[in-house]
Amino acid sequence: MAGGAREVVTLQLGHFAGFVGAHWWNQQDAALVRPADGKEPPGELCPDVLYRTGRTVHGQDTYTPRLILMDLKGSLSSLKQEGGLYRDKQLDAAIAWQGKLTTHKEELCPKNPYLQTLGSAEGVLSSDGVWRVKSIPNGKEGSIRVWSDFLRVHLHPRSICMIQKYNHDGETGRLEAFGQGESILKEPGYLEELEDRLHFYVEECDYLQGFQILCDLHDGFSGVAAKTAELLQDEYSGRGVIAWGLLPAPYSLGEPQKNIYRLLNTAFGLVHLAAHSSLVCPLSLGGSLGLRPEPPVTFPHLHYDATLPFHCSAILATALDTITVPYRLRSSPVSMVHLADMLSFSGKKVVTAGATIPFPSGQSLPDTLVQLGGATPWIPLSACGDPSGACCFAQSVVLRGLDRACHTSQLTPGTPLPSPLHACATGEEVLAQYLQQQQPRALSSSHLLLTPCKVAPPYPHLFSSLSQQGLFLDGPPTRAAAESIPVFGALCSSSSLHQTLGGLARELTKLDLRRWASFMAAGVEQDDLEEMLQELYSLAQCYQDGSGLMD
Amino acid sequence: MAAVKTLNPKAEVARAQAALAVNISAARGLQDVLRTNLGPKGTMKMLVSGAGDIKLTKDGNVLLHEMQIQHPTASLIAKVATAQDDITGDGTTSNVLIIGELLKQADLYISEGLHPRIITEGFEAAKEKALQFLEQIKVSKEMDRQTLIDVARTSLHTKVHAELADVLTEAVVDSILAIKKQDEPIDLFMVEIMEMKHKSETDTSLIRGLVLDHGARHPDMKKRVEDAYILTCNVSLEYEKTEVNSGFFYKSAEEREKLVKAERKFIEDRVNKIIELKKKVCGDSNKGFVVINQKGIDPFSLDALAKEGIVALRRAKRRNMERLTLACGGVALNSLDDLNADCLGRAGLVYEYTLGEEKFTFIEKCNNPRSVTLLIKGPNKHTLTQIKDAIRDGLRAVKNAIDDGEILTLAGPSLESKRLLMRYSLFPRCEYFNSHIIFCFCEVNINSTVLAQNSGFDLQETLVKVQAEHAESGQLVGVDLNTGEPMVAAEAGIWDNYCVKKQLLHSCTVIATNILLVDEIMRAGMSSLKG
Repeated sequence: MAGGAREVVTLQLGHFAGFVGAHWWNQQDAALVRPADGKEPPGELCPDVLYRTGRTVHGQDTYTPRLILMDLKGSLSSLKQEGGLYRDKQLDAAIAWQGKLTTHKEELCPKNPYLQTLGSAEGVLSSDGVWRVKSIPNGKEGSIRVWSDFLRVHLHPRSICMIQKYNHDGETGRLEAFGQGESILKEPGYLEELEDRLHFYVEECDYLQGFQILCDLHDGFSGVAAKTAELLQDEYSGRGVIAWGLLPAPYSLGEPQKNIYRLLNTAFGLVHLAAHSSLVCPLSLGGSLGLRPEPPVTFPHLHYDATLPFHCSAILATALDTITVPYRLRSSPVSMVHLADMLSFSGKKVVTAGATIPFPSGQSLPDTLVQLGGATPWIPLSACGDPSGACCFAQSVVLRGLDRACHTSQLTPGTPLPSPLHACATGEEVLAQYLQQQQPRALSSSHLLLTPCKVAPPYPHLFSSLSQQGLFLDGPPTRAAAESIPVFGALCSSSSLHQTLGGLARELTKLDLRRWASFMAAGVEQDDLEEMLQELYSLAQCYQDGSGLMD
Repeated sequence: MAAVKTLNPKAEVARAQAALAVNISAARGLQDVLRTNLGPKGTMKMLVSGAGDIKLTKDGNVLLHEMQIQHPTASLIAKVATAQDDITGDGTTSNVLIIGELLKQADLYISEGLHPRIITEGFEAAKEKALQFLEQIKVSKEMDRQTLIDVARTSLHTKVHAELADVLTEAVVDSILAIKKQDEPIDLFMVEIMEMKHKSETDTSLIRGLVLDHGARHPDMKKRVEDAYILTCNVSLEYEKTEVNSGFFYKSAEEREKLVKAERKFIEDRVNKIIELKKKVCGDSNKGFVVINQKGIDPFSLDALAKEGIVALRRAKRRNMERLTLACGGVALNSLDDLNADCLGRAGLVYEYTLGEEKFTFIEKCNNPRSVTLLIKGPNKHTLTQIKDAIRDGLRAVKNAIDDGEILTLAGPSLESKRLLMRYSLFPRCEYFNSHIIFCFCEVNINSTVLAQNSGFDLQETLVKVQAEHAESGQLVGVDLNTGEPMVAAEAGIWDNYCVKKQLLHSCTVIATNILLVDEIMRAGMSSLKG
């Protein structure tokens, strides 16, 4: 489309979504900063897709995420709901009352050191024009309880929407079930709030391409997300709605109730989101969606603690930052609707994600790809089991952060070519040819970018064996943390979903739901459940692999 | 040893006296929190969150929603009280206070050995009596503007300071009178409440028309048009991919261009239709033409419209579409096929107001608007919220009065800075009646004492004065909260909703009865979905 960026509105629903979102915005923010050494970044990605320019009442220009965020009462910790950008200290103190006044103060939440640096530099950049953020020392990461502890981006006052009805922590008043979440957006108050905020962001967009919803699938927020997607579909038909369903990795078997609820919420969430959005992709570091937990996925060259949401969300945000590239490109972007159309033909609205973080970059691309051999090059991030052997129907692949010099093989002419990949003239061709080899029957689209993924602090220190530019080091780990890394990410609709979704439905069928009456009490009825199971089965049927009629 | 203990050794059990003590203390705890709020002289509460966010309120309903209530009994009472607000829009604080007071009285008798069942029968009997009394004292009046103003004032004075309350009172009553249709129920939805962070709270006003919180998105469009035609529609004026799942199939770039052009043409035709109509109705006159569209309008279409001097607003809120036609007249169009001059609404003045990055469009001077806007102004977010809550309650109070057609002069917590009062009881504190105990309905006692306390008067003295005055005059008497002297409520224009009080009596008796009859509290099993 000529002129102007194709805007996307981001919605973050839930606390884990907040974690992933905070990392994602930190990464976007880091990418905005031009490096001090004068090297112009390639500028392949257009930040205007995600950000909006605004102006405060005092005439100060702002650049804030086009974001709506929902979380529960008590989850903000030290972050102010209205943000710091548009505040006026003098006016805020004015009180419209002359009578007696009593003040009830909650204990002030201590600010994290990173936020203190953000607060002190409010509105002003440090002298060299670059934000300097202290990295979070290893071991102290457990002290991060909420996402606002490490968010270093200023938000627009319309971004944060608190749900006062439920508590973030404590024993009572939790948002636990799908039905509870759905009913929140049936209340006129919250619905109006959401509509108003959406309206604010959407009205100013010239070429809105769609919405991305980051939502928790494991708790009641799956219901909120389902309702939101329904609203978006109704109100803004023709726009893309891409839902990223997030699941924090470890779940303990110790609490059967939580586990069952997680399963139910996930199933309801997936089915409803698939019905109302263009594309749904579950994202998790866990091994499976089912009742029995499988060990979380492991990455070579990456050490993380699966019990820390801070770590898990960082990895998922990095993957997200890569696989969303197609619709954030500056030149010839693939719009959300097109991306969704390509991946979701004949009802396959659920897709899986995978990523290699970091992508090995010591040698040329053809060499690396040949070394991978026939194995799936990326680690699955959708809790859908092992994708090896599964057939892929369509995929959208992004490789970013490799030097142009590494794109093609640098063999001296005359040497015999180890593989056809080495004959390609450009990196794009190498990638396309590789995908063609791997999945000859799949519809593939690929993007190759020079821009790496930013992993500057407060991103956790996960890559001990990488240099600052993300190259592998043979020597002992250095002190300096990597600041950007190459990442290889993919979205594919694969036949492994047949197993996963079918398995989920079978597990739910086996459950005796009368034992979990409280889930039903929250607004979901037996009929809804049966209908949902039917839809889950037929969704799974879409992924039936033509060759394998095992079950 | 409770039986449940043998099944689940972790279970916690409280029985008989202990259970009652737990419940009563919860009710009284809640009462203590809210008692200082009551009445126009009550204390405003400022809630400061951990991050420093401020919430300022005096409204029991808002407070109960803000508090994290962990105690199950307290949370039960809070739910009943807030449910009362959901239904009638008022009476939350009174509800909590009365339940607390009933239980306090009951506690005294129980400690003397009376069985709770007898006390609950007393409650029931007292309720009947109180309702009878309510029937006696209610006044059927024609709901003229002055009466409604009295009702609204009674409600609003308890929520915000007097100067502001007077401003709001007029605005609230006039807005209801504007949207009210003969013999039809009032739809409060037709009063749009719009916030504007600007100036001070007393600048809040009623706009006889509509205020939209967005403006035209084209630099050449006029900021102000007079005597305008308003076209309300829900038609897409932007080029987008067709909604049906279909892809473009084309061989070359030129072919693609051609297809895109054909699609664009479709939109252009729509824009031209609007332009034609504008030319037809406005001719060469100075009249304005405003398009308000629920769907999007892309920059090309905006440009085309701007050239013709048409002001176009895109993405109007769905809920404003109905209001727009009610305010300006005309019909909301879903397709431009049946576009003609009859579909247009009229407004005397349409102008845009810019505030930082936000734009507001005022549509005013409509003929006989059936939908109006209350424009709330205030310097900061918490003031805006406070006024919004107050206005909601004020609107409800006026609506209740019109719906009931009857009002009471027993303004519980009420009113006006100069002459604030409270009615005193007709019932003696309690009386023995066929061996049942009838508690007085202590709305009376508790409310008047709390009110007097909140205003800083001596309790006993005030009560004695009021009783004397009542005996003398035989009229319903309250307390002037400024002087501490008794006065006749009806003369001072203190009127309250009949349905609120009725609901109040019903719900607090039921809850107090239920709580009183609990003789065992168990906590066992799965902790989930409670509260």
